Amino acid sequence: MNRTTQKISELDRVIHEPGRLMIVALLSAVEQADFLYLQHETEMNKGTLSSHLSKLEVAGYIEVTKTYRGKIPQTLLRLTVEGRQAFAQYRRRMKEAL
Amino acid sequence: MDQVERLMERPMLYNNVDGVGELGMGFMFLSYALFEWFQINSPANAIWHRTGVFVVYVGLMATAIHYGSKAIKTHITYPRTGYVEYRKRPRKHSMNWGGMAIGAGVGVLCCAGIALVHWPHWSVTTLAALIGLVIAAYYAYRFARSVRWKWAVASAMALCSLAITLLPADLVGAKGWSTLFPDNFEWAWLLSTLLYGTILLISGGISFVLYLRHTQPAAETAE
Repeated sequence: MNRTTQKISELDRVIHEPGRLMIVALLSAVEQADFLYLQHETEMNKGTLSSHLSKLEVAGYIEVTKTYRGKIPQTLLRLTVEGRQAFAQYRRRMKEAL
Repeated sequence: MDQVERLMERPMLYNNVDGVGELGMGFMFLSYALFEWFQINSPANAIWHRTGVFVVYVGLMATAIHYGSKAIKTHITYPRTGYVEYRKRPRKHSMNWGGMAIGAGVGVLCCAGIALVHWPHWSVTTLAALIGLVIAAYYAYRFARSVRWKWAVASAMALCSLAITLLPADLVGAKGWSTLFPDNFEWAWLLSTLLYGTILLISGGISFVLYLRHTQPAAETAE
């Protein structure tokens, strides 16, 4: 296995999936954002977005807070410290591999 | 990886998705123009020439812009395209250096500007045009990157700034009230702020109407 192949194989699989990569990249630039914003930016449907968010939450990369904006339910999402570290490491490894 | 980098810039560009950023800037420039007009058209002992009045005026203007923008975001933008809270703590080193560089740049520009307006061979309208070009460049960086037609707005701002330098001297050469700046400084400043404010309000207004047309409030369903 050459060095580049090794770098690629070391990439975080949770983040590497395109849908989740979009979510993590967007959340990395903000303190927190709601579900609607992510849906609007990623153009995913609710089911797909929820599925990706669940995987990221299980991995400990995002924190999900259910709240209300007036009478409307609001789901706030924030990247955890582990999530930020994992994303930074992913970007570093990806740049090295490319 | 370039696509990822671009994606990371999107939340910052989202701040003006509804044109509220431009509306706020346009309102600010027109408010300065109004204050300048009061100063030019009032006697030397009028309240408009007092520093305290200027501070209160700027405070009221900033409050109106802050709460006005917040109200539009809360009642219109967030229910339609989502809520974003920006990071309060900037990244340690790069942002501090960036802030210092911007501060130093603005300081140098201000010093150079004051030196230039006192230099007899330089017209104050040239300075107004230079400031206008800086504002146009800032506008292009902050707003025009996200929407293609806003490059036309940035170009219009730059062209209008250059047009100010070509205006007849007697149009902007009226006697000013301040002893700190040359006679025509106030008129050049009034003309510039009026111009930028009007352009930004029109551009922001168009963005706001387009945003309302192309978005709908989200349905109240579980996420």
